[in-house]
Order: sequence, then C-alpha cells, then structure tokens
Amino acid sequence: MIWAYFYCYQLTLDAHAQCCDAQEYAEPIITYSDKDNCVIQLNQAATNAGIERGHGLAQTAALCPHVNILTFDADAEKRTLTALAHRLYPLASDIMLDSINGIAIRLDNLLQYYGSYDILWNVLTQEFNHAGIHYHYATAWGIEAAKLLAHQGINRCGYTQQDIARLLSTCLLKHSELDNKTLSTLSKVGIHNVGQLLRLPVHELGRRFSNSVIQYLTALRGETFPQVTLFRPSEHFESFILLPYEVENTAYLTRYITQCITALEHYLRARNLLTSLLTFTISYREGQPLVFSVSAATPQSSLSSWLSLVNLKIENITLLAPATSIALHCEQFELIEEGTTDFFSNRFTTIAQKQLIGRLKAKLGDTSTYTPALGDSHIFEQQTCTNVVTEKVVQYTAVSPTFLLDTPTPLTASTKICFGPVRLESGWWEQRNYKRDYFIAQTEVGVRLLVFKDENQSWWVQGVYS
Amino acid sequence: MKTSLTALYDNPNIWRASQRTSCEQKYALGHQPLDHALNGGIAPSGVVRISSHTGIGELSLFKAVLTEPQKHKLRVFINCPAIIQAPWLNAFGIDLKQTLAINTQSDDDALWAAEQCLKSTACHCVVLWNNKLTAKTARRLQVASTHNDALCLIFCDNPRDTSLPISLDLSLHRHEKNVTVDVLKQRHGWPVKGISISLPWTPDNTAIQSAMCKSTSQQQAFNSVI
Repeated sequence: MIWAYFYCYQLTLDAHAQCCDAQEYAEPIITYSDKDNCVIQLNQAATNAGIERGHGLAQTAALCPHVNILTFDADAEKRTLTALAHRLYPLASDIMLDSINGIAIRLDNLLQYYGSYDILWNVLTQEFNHAGIHYHYATAWGIEAAKLLAHQGINRCGYTQQDIARLLSTCLLKHSELDNKTLSTLSKVGIHNVGQLLRLPVHELGRRFSNSVIQYLTALRGETFPQVTLFRPSEHFESFILLPYEVENTAYLTRYITQCITALEHYLRARNLLTSLLTFTISYREGQPLVFSVSAATPQSSLSSWLSLVNLKIENITLLAPATSIALHCEQFELIEEGTTDFFSNRFTTIAQKQLIGRLKAKLGDTSTYTPALGDSHIFEQQTCTNVVTEKVVQYTAVSPTFLLDTPTPLTASTKICFGPVRLESGWWEQRNYKRDYFIAQTEVGVRLLVFKDENQSWWVQGVYS
Repeated sequence: MKTSLTALYDNPNIWRASQRTSCEQKYALGHQPLDHALNGGIAPSGVVRISSHTGIGELSLFKAVLTEPQKHKLRVFINCPAIIQAPWLNAFGIDLKQTLAINTQSDDDALWAAEQCLKSTACHCVVLWNNKLTAKTARRLQVASTHNDALCLIFCDNPRDTSLPISLDLSLHRHEKNVTVDVLKQRHGWPVKGISISLPWTPDNTAIQSAMCKSTSQQQAFNSVI
C-alpha cells in the first residue's frame, strides 16, 4: 500500500492569491493567527521583508509597516481543502482529508489505470498547480508515515520499502504526532529521530508508554490497515470566496462571481450536466447574509449565458453593508439529453423565448413578466390570472374589456351608454359580495369605458376598450 | 451626361418612389382607404408610433397584425395602461400561450425590455405604451426590429411634433362612429391626413335600438289601421 500525503501549508494565502491579481499578490501578505498571536503563513514578498513564521504582530509591523494581514480561519481553510478534494476526486478514488491542511491519497490501487507512478504523480501535481496550492509532499506505506515525511518537508517520492525506510529514519520526532510528554521522555534518553525509535523493541516501549503511542508507532511502520473515512464528494455544487477586501459596490463583485461560475462551468462540463437555478449568498460581517437566486428559463451551463443573467440580477441589488464573502450554491442539475433535442419545429425560437423570459425576469423581477391566462369565473376581476387554471374554454360575456383597472374609479366624465346593461352578481361565497349593472359608455372624445352602477346607484369606471 | 444618369438609374441601391416593389409583404389592415394610403398596409418589421387616446379602438385597428398566425412567436405587451384581459385577447383571436405581458417600474426599463424582445428573435410583435420616446431610442428600436424581422407598435397619448426615425407615424381620433387616421409620416410614401374608417370595437345596442324603432313604427302602423 502506497499513500501520498500533501501538506498544504498556506491554504489561506493560496485562496487569497486566487482572488487577487499578480500585482496585488506582489505586496507582502501574511496570515495571522489571533489565537496564538503569530504569523503562520507568508508570501515571498513578506519573507523578503524579513518576516518569519512565529513572529508576533508587533514584530511584523515593525519589520514591514504596510504588510497585508489575513486572519486565519480554520473553517475557510477546510473549505479550500474540500474544494481541492473535489477537484482531485475525478483523478483519484481514495482521498482522505486530514485535519484542515492535509490531503492523503492512496496511489497503489490507481496504478492499474495510470500505468506508472510517474504518470499518476504528474497528473496529481498538475491539478495542485492548477489550483494554485503550495504543498510539501511525500509518499510512504501508510498515511502516518507519509504525513510525517511531508511535515518534515522531504518533498521526495519513495515507492520501495528501502527508500521509504531510509527517508523515514532521518525524520525528526518533533514533526510526529506524539505528544510533548512522550517527546521529552524520549529526548531524555537521546532519541530524537524516527529511525532510533523504530529500532527499539516494541514490547519494551509498550511497558513504558501508553497504548496510543504504540498504535501510532505500528501505523508509522505500516503494519496496520488505516481506519479512515474517505472523502466523498457532495451531491451539490458549492463555491465559496472570501473576498480580499470588503466590497461595498455590487459592480466589484462581478469578478468574484465570474470565478464562482467558472468553477461551476467546469464542474458541470465534467459531469455532462446543466442547471437552471443558482443561489448566491453574500455574507456581511454582521447580520443576516443576503441570499438571492438567479434562474434561467432553460437549463444551461456556459459562463457567458449565466454571467449575463447574474449581472442583470445584481444590478438591482444594493448591499446593506460591506460584503465579506460570496458563496455559490447549486443543487438542481439536469442531464444533457441529446436524444430529446428536436431537429425540426422552431426549436431555436423556443430557446430564444426562454432566454428572453429569463433575461427579463432577471432584470425586472420575477413578477414583472407573465402570460395572461383565462380564469374560471364570470366576474371581471377573476377572468384573467397569471397561471393557467383551466384548459376548458369558459363562456365569457362579450363585454370583457381590453384593460381592467386595479380598482374601480368614480365615473366623472360625461358619457353616453352604448351597450348594456349586463347584471353581474358575485358569488355568495366571495368575501366581497356585490350586485352590479355593467354598461359600455362612450365619453365625448370617443373613449369607450366599462362602467357599472352599484347598489347605491353610484357610477364607477372599471375598464377600457381599446 | 446621359450615360452617367443611366448608370445611376441602374444602381439597385437608389430607391425611387415611382418604383414600388410589389413583392414586399405587408399586413393589410382590412380598411380599404387606409390600406391604400399605406400602400398596401403595415410593413412586417419596423416601428409604428400611434398617437391616440386609450380606448378609442386603437388596438382593434391592428387586429390583422396582432392575430397574424405566427406559430411559436410571441406577442408582447409592455406597460399596458391597465391589466390586459385574457378573455378579450382570446375573443380577439390571439393565442394566449404565445402572449407575454410585461410591467416595468420605469419607462427606461420598458424601452430596454422592448429592445430585448425585438432582439431575441422570439417575438413577432411588441406592443409598447410609452410617452418617452426620443429620436435615439426610436432609432435603437427601429434597428432592432428591422434586423430581427419583428414589428414594434408604440402607443402614446401625447402627440408631439418631433419627427422620429421610424417606419410609420400615425395619429388616431374618433368622430362619432368613425375613426380618423392621420398618417403623419411613412417610409416610402407621403403623409395622408383625414382618412375616415368605420371601426366597431365593442358590442353596442344599435341592433336593439333599430329593432325597437322598427317595432314601434310597426306598432304605429298597426295602430293607424285600427
């Protein structure tokens, strides 16, 4: 069994580099852990300025006053790592996410697909490089051994027992997962590296150390089968971007939205899927995040078509506070079905219609656009509805107007009656029960109106005939 | 001199009013004097502005255009003066499934929506109520509609004297039972004023009234016999 371990030592910094351009990244940037008050990740410019890992904030500021500081967030790192695992999953089957910054991948069972370790290794590292993740790596017979080697920064691959044993024997114990008490006990008797420890007889160690130490040592030797939970990709697509600065104007969000949708496009293309609904979540420093969905009339996957819809939607959104992060969530997928696409009929018109409706709804709001449908009622107010209620053709009175006012207005202009009366009474089950005599009346300029006389003998205008 | 003129005459890009292309398809409106004034009817693409009061039968005049059987093509109504009624559309002869109503917050949005509809190639006819048409927006709509073979009808109720770069500019007035149409401007034709056409657009009581008159006259005749 051969496992590779990738120790991603600057995930926060790498994620930040993804969403800022090269010029911005050339500035000194550090990741600062406020829990330990020390610098834990830093880029090349920060190293050049003299900053090192473990420096406090005061020392950092003294060395480089204009340093950019990112706050370390374990959840964000975990998210970046999960996104990376999603990218790797099509290439490798047995992936294990270790704490927040390690990925272990089993290599030996992939050998039959790739042919040789070199090819497999190139494929994997290429994906890491595309993702822009920095890492230390190592291979060994077990996860623990590979992890120890990677943390040591070996950056070499050994595939034979001898190579691995040789590399492992030089490793320092301080990089291992042994607790401080065990380490100090071992150092007192002059044991500092793994080689020395592994040469000691196990039963002697067992008498002096706890069970967990022995378990760790057997795992290090590769004598046990790893009991780990393997990574399984989620059924939904999720993309999360921690914004490099707080964004107040939605126009500046476009760049990050483009990144999210590009990731989605790759995801969908690789799986032969389409989607018709995207959900964006914009988080603020405080308060409820802003959630909005963008829907397309026809399922699609391409960046350009989605981006045009999202841009229309986002034009109308005002941020309540500066945004700190943006997430894209996509749950509904549809398979691309080549078989159902129709050669004939006006296929393009249908698609064009759906795209048009999608565009209009994105810009003007969901309720702005509707197809008028026949309602199943004899009352004018309920003869038109936005959803199709009935397919049957209802016998309507011939007096149905072209336009109906929301609420009747008093009739003030002088008119003469052209048609009528038509008496309509609302159903007794309705909340507003009325009895009205409808007429068509013509004003002096020739406008024909739908007017009615209510039970109090008042005259009202309710519609227009065009 | 003569030869150079002949060369000009032969140039197909020069249009002369005397050479009306008969092959151009037009929607006849069904009213003889009006169709004659419009040289056969309304062109199937381009912008038509209609200045009129709302409610004098201005939509009914364009029945031939709106009910033109175009499968899979939408008729879009943007910013109707009030809620457009499905039974009326149905009785008018429009397929409701191919009808779209759009309400926008502002006139600019309405113009944007109209342009999108025209550009989408999914629409056969876009009907827009808007009073804020400028030369620039009119030109945009005109280009969008001619390029995509769609018709754009724009209704406004405040006729201005400004001339717009559009295909047809009409003004409607109603006098008793007739509608007077003024063709203010038309492409490939001259303005014509005062075309009077009879346009019944709502049911009325004339049948009852005439029957009543008839019956009363008969009654009188009967009475006179007695």
